[in-house]
Amino acid sequence: MITRSFIKGFLCTALLAFACSAAAAKTLRVNIQADPAMMDPITYSELVSGRIIENVYEAFTTKTPDGKSVPALALSWEPLQSGYGFRFHLRPGVKFHSGRTFTAKDVKYTFETLLDPTMKAGLGAEYLKNIVGADDVKSGKSKDLKGVTVVDDNTIDVAFTKLDVLFPIYPIYIMDSGIVAEQGPDWMTKVSAGTGPFKFTQWKRGVEVDLTANKDYWDGAPKIDDIRFLIVGDANTALAQYDAGELDFLDVYEPIYQRVLGDARYKDQLLSVPRAQSRYLGMNQKLYAPFKDKRVREAVSLALPRDAMIKGLYGGAAFPLNGVVTPGVGGYDPTLPPMKYDPVMAKKLMADAGYPDGKGLPPIMITCSPEYKDELAYYADQLHKVLGMPVTVNVMERATFIKAMNAGEVAFFPWGWTADYPDGMYYLAQMWYGPSPYNRARYSNPDYDHLIDEAQSTIDVQKRYDLYHQAERVLLDDWAMAPLPIEASLALRKPNVHNISNTPFGFSSFKDTTID
Amino acid sequence: MTADAEVAAPIAARDLPPILGLWRRFVAQRSAVIGFVIVLFVILVGSVGPAFTPHPFDETDLLNTWSPPSENNMLGTDRLGRDILSRLIVGARTSLVVAVTVLAITLLIGVAVGMAAGYLGGWIDGLLMRTVDVMLAFPAVIVAILVTSVLGSGETTVIISLSIVWWSGVARLTRSLTIVLRQELFIDAAIVSGTPLPLILWRHILPNIFAPILVRTSVGVGFIIMAEATLSFLGLGIQEPQASWGGMIRDGLPMLGADPYLALFGSLALGVTIIGFNLLGDGLRDMLDPRLQGR
Amino acid sequence: MVVYILKRLIGIVPVLVVTLIVTFGAIRALPGDPVTVMLSDHSANVEMADRLRAEYGLDRPVLQQFVDYSTHALRGQFGFSYRYVHVPVIEVLGTGLVISPLLALAAIFLALPFGIIAGTFAAVHRNQFADTAVIVILVIALSIPDFAIATFLVYLLCIKLGLLPVAGWGSLAQAVLPVAVLAVPSAAYIARLSRTFMLEVLQQDYIRTLRAKGLGERLVIYRHALRNVLIPVLTQAGIIFGGLLSNTFVVETIFNIPGLGRLAIESVFARDYPVAMAVVLLFVLFFVLINLMIDVLYAAIDPRLRARMAAA
Repeated sequence: MITRSFIKGFLCTALLAFACSAAAAKTLRVNIQADPAMMDPITYSELVSGRIIENVYEAFTTKTPDGKSVPALALSWEPLQSGYGFRFHLRPGVKFHSGRTFTAKDVKYTFETLLDPTMKAGLGAEYLKNIVGADDVKSGKSKDLKGVTVVDDNTIDVAFTKLDVLFPIYPIYIMDSGIVAEQGPDWMTKVSAGTGPFKFTQWKRGVEVDLTANKDYWDGAPKIDDIRFLIVGDANTALAQYDAGELDFLDVYEPIYQRVLGDARYKDQLLSVPRAQSRYLGMNQKLYAPFKDKRVREAVSLALPRDAMIKGLYGGAAFPLNGVVTPGVGGYDPTLPPMKYDPVMAKKLMADAGYPDGKGLPPIMITCSPEYKDELAYYADQLHKVLGMPVTVNVMERATFIKAMNAGEVAFFPWGWTADYPDGMYYLAQMWYGPSPYNRARYSNPDYDHLIDEAQSTIDVQKRYDLYHQAERVLLDDWAMAPLPIEASLALRKPNVHNISNTPFGFSSFKDTTID
Repeated sequence: MTADAEVAAPIAARDLPPILGLWRRFVAQRSAVIGFVIVLFVILVGSVGPAFTPHPFDETDLLNTWSPPSENNMLGTDRLGRDILSRLIVGARTSLVVAVTVLAITLLIGVAVGMAAGYLGGWIDGLLMRTVDVMLAFPAVIVAILVTSVLGSGETTVIISLSIVWWSGVARLTRSLTIVLRQELFIDAAIVSGTPLPLILWRHILPNIFAPILVRTSVGVGFIIMAEATLSFLGLGIQEPQASWGGMIRDGLPMLGADPYLALFGSLALGVTIIGFNLLGDGLRDMLDPRLQGR
Repeated sequence: MVVYILKRLIGIVPVLVVTLIVTFGAIRALPGDPVTVMLSDHSANVEMADRLRAEYGLDRPVLQQFVDYSTHALRGQFGFSYRYVHVPVIEVLGTGLVISPLLALAAIFLALPFGIIAGTFAAVHRNQFADTAVIVILVIALSIPDFAIATFLVYLLCIKLGLLPVAGWGSLAQAVLPVAVLAVPSAAYIARLSRTFMLEVLQQDYIRTLRAKGLGERLVIYRHALRNVLIPVLTQAGIIFGGLLSNTFVVETIFNIPGLGRLAIESVFARDYPVAMAVVLLFVLFFVLINLMIDVLYAAIDPRLRARMAAA
């Protein structure tokens, strides 16, 4: 009697508990390194907010974990009949988080807002600079972006002043055109105005940013209910939180790479990919005379053992880079030969150039921001050991360093360039192209520049990639720089979290992620 | 001004006990002797040591990073395969050089300003002390960051930052001591007999306030070393590849779980050194403070 | 007395003015302007840079910027942060303003009883083992930097033993370690002070009288001696509190607490002028006000000082 009711009671409780746990909210907790600077796609301009914005807003295309671009808000596109430009066919039936339907009107609105001189627009505006009429909007002369024509709700024409073949893959996030009227100009701290799989709910500064699932997402509701981006600045603190079960997915910060790689506990939870960041040792020929000689530049590269660097400097958390375009980015050339370490040859080249054992070389500083101080100490020591080069370390505060680099005032420095979209052109056209403001080593090679000009007007993808390969080889033959190993991007995934990946561009969007 | 309970009573010239009595009292305090020995050891290591390091302190060996103590590297290696022992020795020099330089600068400026303010009084005192108040009100870390950002990191910058932060405390103390001393009869006697001001300050005031100042500052060395370590820990300190204990601890902390030697030995060196200076300072103070005599 | 307070309050004004000028000048003198930091690697985009500069008024002459800033600050408007777009400075300071003082307060409340008891204990057992033991611990506690203490504690209590959560701020458990780490050096300092004062007090005549009268040792110490130790220690506590307030940075960084100390550092590095200036001004104000309160307190308690002040 008692036993039966006891069993009944037990079963009921068990069922209830089961139901409750099944109904319990699935929250994914991820760490980010600092407060994002902003929460909207207009002023968006830095990496941390990018991670969050990617889940809330969408562009014409989106990246897959292996670096390809696939249609998102634009189903297809073709070149315009007259002049340069594209006609985009937009995805129908997409809703914003506010409930409104996404149409071509919103695209035009987003573009105009990005170009509006009174909005503190971030990176997005850069991508629009070739659109017809963009200058007029930027200077305030006009509010209407003439080059963009709304053909109908799901078709839009974008006309350029010059060919911009990569336009469809630019990450220009589209926002809800009705949100400002509804919520006012500071809507971004209150509501969400995107089409993405998650909606922005709140931002507790210094603590966390919270997103919640968009059940009406066009590709199906996400399998998790909420995401909490916890702001953890310190590497060890973050790892300790992961160990303690306070984080489900950990973005591993650089200072603890070695620790994580060396710990057998994490072996099955580790996701390691090369970052989409082209790293190099810049040698400014205008500032340090010996760099003018190709043999000196080659000697510098030959004096650095990339394998030992990967193992020693990066604790194994790095991948070799033999050119400019990194793996996982469109146009990557896997056939490039690995960077050689040949101290004997390096010494010979240096002697041939007129500096046997480094004699006669003026002193040179190798400069970088404080995070790279150990690398600098290593280069200084190694180059001195092998070549007798009188290199001293110069650690410069970050903002000052970036300013000096941009002004072309730094003679010798390791740095990298992170791609914002998965195409090698991002690197090639910005880092080594003569007139590019980001050509920090002030490298100049007309042959290379011609190849890049050609590539920028080549619509056929494979032909364009061939041009990329050619351009890369020109750079390498001329020893424009010394490619350095790419840092890995490390992440740890708790065993009960699935369909989550780490890509060269950061985490993939969490729309398919599940938690057991 | 502010109640400063740490102000030792000034010792008028005629009351100093004979040197022998002093020494005996000093030795009687075992802790002070321990402190003295430690400080002596550190000074020795810091001044002579760098010439005898087992390895060049900046020699890297990427195939031998984070290794535990071995025959070749008695205390192990760090992130770039550099020998920890060699870097500890050079770090001793860094800490000492910074501490001594900061001390010298702050004593010079602080004592001068404090004496002027305390002796002259009036608007000079007001002005100088206002300045001191402002300086003391600034958070030390902010000063360090501002100075470092403007001047770039490095030993000189650290010395300047720490001096800026530290001198006002010395000035305050000097002023308090000077004010009290000024009221002594023998000062009046000197003034009446026509002794010029600089001579009064130099011959009569300075020798009598010097002892407590010295005591206060010898304890201060410990704090200066810790401040330098903190700055290096925050990344505002000594430039690479020069070694500093604070920087070594900072580099070693992420590896505390897997390879604790860098953080451990760095902390040990830092801790023991500061303990030594503190013990020495305490010993000196106990020795010279007449209030604690006879116990 | 009231006159004294008023005089001091007026004396604060030049301090604040000088601080304003010095801070403004220093932060502006930093190489690398906020626009470069905002745009970071994309800062070669001259057009965007110029636009941002104009928007933030950074292209006006420096003197004008100072005047504008000061007049706004007097009205309590500290402008908008550069780092957090569209966010007013007050909001950015918001959480830190509550958290850092709370941390410091909690640390002092922990440090005082521990310190006083330890110091008294040592003084009472002078030259015995207990005294030496306490002194040794004190010296160690004062000599090891707080970041080292913090790390060892985290390693031991959180990672190895799993007793406490690692970081963050919100629950009581999370507050234990940061407060403890902050409290340790202060407790040691207070203990040392207490010991010194207690030794002095125990030498006084009236203590001897009490003993001669046959009063139990325990009563002598706790009822009479301790009272005279508490007062000077408590006034020192005010200064210690001021010091703690400016030194929460390391603890805030290691334990990921969104406090003022960490904010101050970050905003200087990020060239977030408005926030950096506001934080520094706040710190200075805190410190100066606390000093004033201490002086007033001390004067209120010590009649000799009161007389001297009346004469001044």
